[in-house]
Amino acid sequence: MYTYDTYDHAMLADRIAEFRDQVERRLDGRLTEDQFKPLRLMNGVYLQLHAYMLRVAIPYGTMNSAQMRTLAGIARDYDRGYGHFTTRQNLQYNWPALVDIPDILDRLAAVEMHAIQTSGNCIRNVTADPFAGAAADELEDGRPWAEIVRQWSSFHPEFTFLPRKFKIAVNGATADRAGIRVHDIGLQVVKNDAGETGFEVWVGGGQGRTPRLGQLIKPFLAPEDLLSYLTACLRVYNQHGRRDNLYKARIKILVEALGAEEYGRQVEDEWAAIREGELKLPVEEIARIRAFFGKPQSPTPAPVPVTENSAFARWLDRNRRDHSVEGLSSLVISLKPIGGTPGDITDAQMDAVADLAERHAFDEIRATPDQNLILPHVRNDALEAVWTGLVDAGLAIANAGLATDIVACPGLDYCNLANARSIPIAQAISNLLDETGLSEKAGDVTIKIDGCINACGHHHVAHIGVLGVDKRGEEFYQITLGGAFGVDAAIGSIIGKGLAGEDVPAAIARTLETYLDIRAGNERFIDTLRRVGPDAFKEAIYAEA
Amino acid sequence: MKTVTANRLTDGRVIYRTANGDWTTDLADAARLDSDQADVVLGLASTENRIAVGAYLIELADDLPGGQKWRREGIRLAGPTTGSTHTAAVA
Amino acid sequence: MLKLDRKDDTHPIADAQLAAGGGRIVELAGDADWRDARAEIAGAVRVDIRFPIFNDGRGFTLATQLRQRAGYAGKLRAVGDLIPDQAQHLMRVGFDDVDPDRKGQDADWARARTRFAHAYQPGQGNVTPLFRHRHNRQDRDLAALNARYRDQTPQDILRDAIENEWIGKIAIMSSFGAEAAVGLHMISQIDPATPVIFLDTGRLFAQTEQYQRQLTLELGLTNIRLLTPDAEAAAEEDSDNRLWRRDPDACCSLRKVRPLDDIIGDYDALITGRKRFHGGGRMALPVVERINGRIRVNPLASWDAAAIEDYFQRFDLPRHPLTDMGYASIGCWTCTAPVQGDGDIRSGRWLGQDKTECGIHTPAPIADEQVAAE
Repeated sequence: MYTYDTYDHAMLADRIAEFRDQVERRLDGRLTEDQFKPLRLMNGVYLQLHAYMLRVAIPYGTMNSAQMRTLAGIARDYDRGYGHFTTRQNLQYNWPALVDIPDILDRLAAVEMHAIQTSGNCIRNVTADPFAGAAADELEDGRPWAEIVRQWSSFHPEFTFLPRKFKIAVNGATADRAGIRVHDIGLQVVKNDAGETGFEVWVGGGQGRTPRLGQLIKPFLAPEDLLSYLTACLRVYNQHGRRDNLYKARIKILVEALGAEEYGRQVEDEWAAIREGELKLPVEEIARIRAFFGKPQSPTPAPVPVTENSAFARWLDRNRRDHSVEGLSSLVISLKPIGGTPGDITDAQMDAVADLAERHAFDEIRATPDQNLILPHVRNDALEAVWTGLVDAGLAIANAGLATDIVACPGLDYCNLANARSIPIAQAISNLLDETGLSEKAGDVTIKIDGCINACGHHHVAHIGVLGVDKRGEEFYQITLGGAFGVDAAIGSIIGKGLAGEDVPAAIARTLETYLDIRAGNERFIDTLRRVGPDAFKEAIYAEA
Repeated sequence: MKTVTANRLTDGRVIYRTANGDWTTDLADAARLDSDQADVVLGLASTENRIAVGAYLIELADDLPGGQKWRREGIRLAGPTTGSTHTAAVA
Repeated sequence: MLKLDRKDDTHPIADAQLAAGGGRIVELAGDADWRDARAEIAGAVRVDIRFPIFNDGRGFTLATQLRQRAGYAGKLRAVGDLIPDQAQHLMRVGFDDVDPDRKGQDADWARARTRFAHAYQPGQGNVTPLFRHRHNRQDRDLAALNARYRDQTPQDILRDAIENEWIGKIAIMSSFGAEAAVGLHMISQIDPATPVIFLDTGRLFAQTEQYQRQLTLELGLTNIRLLTPDAEAAAEEDSDNRLWRRDPDACCSLRKVRPLDDIIGDYDALITGRKRFHGGGRMALPVVERINGRIRVNPLASWDAAAIEDYFQRFDLPRHPLTDMGYASIGCWTCTAPVQGDGDIRSGRWLGQDKTECGIHTPAPIADEQVAAE
């Protein structure tokens, strides 16, 4: 993975010094809260319902054991002994004190981590396929490009005060596990006829109040043009994105208003003027960064073990993924214990994962957009040792991709913006689907829950989405069906009026029972839904229990 | 009945303004205000932004958060409802 | 109005016009279109871009386009609701100065102006983005360096050398002699933790030793690297303490050149206080030179005695005690005399000999001695 040089270290140190100064000036009144707020947001510091929240960046979801141990230590020393992985491959702490945050940033800097631009109206963490560098369907690891974009977007003098936040994702495989069609800009690695690498550029995707799928505005962008083209895209947005209405300020609104063709034309016009200038990416820098992202070797490949231990077998079946290198596997570590808080992990668990990664997994860990962790490179003859370690840490839940692998935003239990709670609903659904055995039977299905329309929990792109709303002080939940995150990205449709919280788990159970009744052969839930349409499910959802 | 709440600047914790003009984490000590008083006190509280961030008014019913935002203010007072041992309010 | 120290800020004509009360100033809103504005700003001595609120970032794009697309080369000022933390953003998109609504925060603006030594992006004012800068260093050309430094002040040269070009790998050599306070004061203003290499030859004037302590304390220098001759070698080569008389080159070698050679590998570049007006072999001194494969930076190369004196007075720097006694260049007591008559400044060094340099600044001769010894 990428390692900082002296310049990267210097930039980070300068940034922390800047933030320390800003905190001091806020505390002594030289900065008002209105002036301080955008500055602290750009260092990942939110003020939530009952505490500050610090969002630590995990660039393209990649970490090593030293970093994971530092995250554990910070949870212990400055927080309440746990952290929360998010849908953008970041980690959140829910209880740090503002006055401690500069010190926390120092601790992070010592292991080349930071909280830069994880909030605010600037370019955010660049996310990527969590299986990058391992997946069998990968064309090329997208992460070197994500790193190049990360650096270019950091402390950008022109693009630090955008109309609104800006999210970029990079995908290097044929499947899209990064969600490029629901990002402000999505970069898809492609090869031209000569076998040269380039990018498809998708612009204008996003969720929230006005979910939209991105549009392809450039079918092949050469790597040396990456920064100049992105600059042109951002420049047009910075100038013409709306600043009069917070809810209409994302680039998806601009692309829709202008039309993708006109937006693309304005970008080309700007790009033509800057393409051959100082933003041309030197081949030496591309080579330098690419050199940090290699594939592990597997000189004596072993097969995936066949076992009589049924728990181990079940876990292998659900949580193991094939690897492009023979003798290796990728593993999903589910952070969705039955009845637990999706995405939460204790400091002890973080340490356990760090140990396993260091000992058995080439010292690499990934965070995923569904709030799980991955050990991307595990030797097949180490799979049992890893599983045993995970069992000891309470992290061996064999539900990756199942209905109980729920994604949920923090919701009203933590978040200032929320209208309803999301975690208790997730817990109740998880308990019921596990008790009834439906989670096992129903196979691959995504359930994502949001406590408000900002949709940080990505309910729009879930097979079954749940959106909490507040009606005169009571929590109601709307169900959406048919969303999808990948190449087949789709925005789910609301199927009717909201349900009371206590009715939601049973409604979801009935939805899955309906699927099991009417599915053809082994088709997945989403395939049945697409085949028969939502009406059968709608009936089930609103049927009296 | 209303009272003024905010978050403490230094550590983000939930605080309520007392009749003395101090800030406390204990709702029991928060000033009980009628509508007219509440506006005045809110005005004062908003100038104390080196202690309290984002001051606003909440409704009380029988000494607990009331009105439409009862659940949200209840969570601010007592912590998350997610039942995990990690989120138990620290004494 | 606060200057942003943008490096290509040279508008003498515009400055003169403004000072005389003439010249057209155009104010643009942040959301102005640069194409429409181009005609309006032609011939203006200054263009102001107004920021209605500090987080309306359109003004940054407008400035960029006025500079890059419209080719506007006049003065550019940011006005309105701006905060000190935006200083470098403003500078790097091409603003020359800023007039923020909120006054009285000059110190915050000054600090923010130099917050980041590097940039990940290209920008106005000679900013090389790191994706290029990282690769330039290896094939840095001396001529290009000298060209860059030619018209810069010693302070700018030092700041660039210490914070940018040889960051973390540069030290200053100082004799703590007659002129040393100038360079050391400049260093102390940039980074008082810059390593200061001080060669304690064992033959220093007591006044030099005392001055070294005094100056270190007063300037707040925190990283004095004291070098002494190797004890074993000294015992062998200068057992009678008369080597300076018998063979001054050998004595300099023992007490200065070789101690320096031992640690020189720690640095890519060394800063000296050498100046052309010292005469002799220094008359053609460049600002940057390569000696034995290593960079020497001579930021004060172009300064003369008057400039030195002026600096001493401006900052009220303490003088070396011997300067009152006619010493203008101060080395070891064994080989240093006051300036003779109206000889040049170093004429008191190795008086009566051909020797003019101790050898730490001159290229090593091809190792005839070693060959001969075998």
